[in-house]
Amino acid sequence: MRIDAFSRTYEGRCVLRVPDLDLADGAVTAVIGANGSGKTTLARVLAGVEPPDRRGWRRPEQDVGYLPQKPYAFRMSTEKNLLLGGKDPARAAQLMEALDLRALARQSARRLSGGETAKMALARLLMRDFKLLILDEPTASMDRDAALAAEDLIRVCRDRTGCTVLLITHSLRQARRVSDRILFLHKGKLLEQGPTEELLRSPAQPETKSFLDFCGV
Amino acid sequence: MSSSIQKAIELILSADRELLNILSTTARLSLTSSVIALLLGVPLGLLLGGCRFRGRGILLVLNRTLMGMPPVVCGLLFYLLFSGVGPFRHMRLLFTVELMILAQVVLITPIVTGNMETAAAGIAPALRETALGLGLGRGRRLLLLIRECAYPILTAYLLAFARAIAEVGAVAMVGGAIAWKTNVMTTAIMQYTNRGNFSLGIALGLILMLLSLIVNAALSLLQRRLGT
Amino acid sequence: MKKLTAILLILCTLLALAGCGGAPRADSLVVDTCILMEADENMINNYSLLAVNPEAPFVDADGNAVTDVAVNTVGAAALINWLLSEEGEAAAAEYGFAEYGEHLFYLKEDRPISTAEIPAATEETKLIRLSTTTSVNDSGLLGFLLPLFTEKYGYEVDVYSTGTGKAISNAKMGNADLILVHSRSDEEAFVEDGFSYVIEGMDSARLNYMYNYFVLCGPSDDPAGVREAASVLDAFRAIAEGKYRFISRGDASGTHKKELKLWPEELGITAEAESFAPYADWYVSANAGMGACLVMAEEMHAYILTDKATFLTFVANGGVL
Repeated sequence: MRIDAFSRTYEGRCVLRVPDLDLADGAVTAVIGANGSGKTTLARVLAGVEPPDRRGWRRPEQDVGYLPQKPYAFRMSTEKNLLLGGKDPARAAQLMEALDLRALARQSARRLSGGETAKMALARLLMRDFKLLILDEPTASMDRDAALAAEDLIRVCRDRTGCTVLLITHSLRQARRVSDRILFLHKGKLLEQGPTEELLRSPAQPETKSFLDFCGV
Repeated sequence: MSSSIQKAIELILSADRELLNILSTTARLSLTSSVIALLLGVPLGLLLGGCRFRGRGILLVLNRTLMGMPPVVCGLLFYLLFSGVGPFRHMRLLFTVELMILAQVVLITPIVTGNMETAAAGIAPALRETALGLGLGRGRRLLLLIRECAYPILTAYLLAFARAIAEVGAVAMVGGAIAWKTNVMTTAIMQYTNRGNFSLGIALGLILMLLSLIVNAALSLLQRRLGT
Repeated sequence: MKKLTAILLILCTLLALAGCGGAPRADSLVVDTCILMEADENMINNYSLLAVNPEAPFVDADGNAVTDVAVNTVGAAALINWLLSEEGEAAAAEYGFAEYGEHLFYLKEDRPISTAEIPAATEETKLIRLSTTTSVNDSGLLGFLLPLFTEKYGYEVDVYSTGTGKAISNAKMGNADLILVHSRSDEEAFVEDGFSYVIEGMDSARLNYMYNYFVLCGPSDDPAGVREAASVLDAFRAIAEGKYRFISRGDASGTHKKELKLWPEELGITAEAESFAPYADWYVSANAGMGACLVMAEEMHAYILTDKATFLTFVANGGVL
């Protein structure tokens, strides 16, 4: 999947600039970097939520599923929220089972805790098959068990549909567990990219190394 | 001490024809103007709060200004426009309930719009990015926004109705408080007080508050039902 | 939910009780204020009917002339003719006699009488807009007379009742077809400015047909000795000299204008606030309707000039209108 170069300027400040890059089809690519490095902006522009600076820029894929950092819970039951994402009740039941949401199926989604909301939002997104899945820190609010279950689910989904996954994460361990490739963003620029193990073990750029050291990996 | 409450009860029980006329005129005026304000203000407010476009800021400021318009100023404006020597005199609308409704709509719609704008602006960004992320189209997103704002819509209506029923400055000027035609509770209370009949004024005031209470309670129940 | 309703109901009741406590205690059945002087020539209150002239020099809010102002001349003439007919005039004179044992309105000896044929209402002429003062309306006369007219001929009469000044300006803005007021100077100005005209069968534009009296009322113990005064002018002088409390309408109404004429000239009391500021300890300018002023007079044991009809209604209703 080819992404044309673009930049995004917000209130006079350039928050992100990426060159032409190739996203490996069917692979899970993790995006890592410090806070404010432009990870979320990257996700939003690719998802079509924010426009890049250049008018003629085209998205690499139209059939995109995007999970924002703070997903919105609609004023209806958990189950109904899921059905917003897709029509199949059997699939909804499956997903809820996988993420341990069955008990909360009838409960009003507004009343879910942070972790429960995150699970619900992920399940809701996975109700449909997208060609490109962009997930912005999907497990940040989840506890360890839930996060692992979520990671399994993402992997299963990708294996089944062959979709490309872009996973924004602040957890390097998660990146190591789940992703095939890594993109490292630093101060709005794509500093380094490569296969996961390689990058984590022997980063090329000094900034990458400091970041990894800072994260304790 | 309880003479006013006694009087109020006497009034209601006696089914005094003039009182019934005042009540029905009040109901007709307040219900019509608040519903029209709702029908106009909700879409306007949702659009203003949910969409981003050039000129949004100016429209917001305009709305805030209109929200603060004193009713009596609005009444004076309408009186001058629709007077026998005014530009709209041929419409023959002065001293009619229809014009009172129009004046109230002008007063109340900005309030409804402002309320809805605040509610929509609060949730629109998050709703938009989530709904976009799920692949939902524009129409679906708008419908969802309306649905999510159901509670604020009801609250906005409550506010609109409360304002309509309590308003006296505009309806007095525009309606003329003509007996059997454009006399509503607030203008009737003013008339009785001017005549020195305070007991009757208070009695009418109690009835007015009771009316307001009933509508408020009914709407609260409705919104309870919707909340679940 | 039920709790909320209960709390709100209790709140309302408390507010109402508080309101009752605050309202002037004017619903006692016995009113202390009584008539101390009446039937003085200086206290005649003349009522006139004036039809609004469709060709009058109307101007809009900016002062530009407006020509095609809609005035229901047929309807106004019909109402005037009926009010001045034997039937209408008899009814007006009758009004109140049964209830109060007194005539509230008297017919002038030289009044205009109409024998004109009164047309039934048509779709176009049905709505008649009458601008009048609160004093007239509050006396209940119109509530008594107008149904007799509307039922017989099928018209609809919208009564716009407000202060004299506003009633006349309302007509000048083209919002009335005829006016019924009781302020001679204002009426004559209205005619002079071209806003009224002589309807067919009448001799003048200003149709003064009815009168009643103003009466000077006050506390029953009458500290100023008004009862013994030779004339109303002497009575007013006595009140001023003794600095006994007096309630003035203060709203440029017909009653107010009449009252201003009765004070001794040297006091210099006019409608302007500065003129009566030195007398603030006894002269109360209420700027309120007749009923509210009567309530004040009752509360403060003060003197007050009022028209007899309103006063009788006030007493009959135990101190309210």
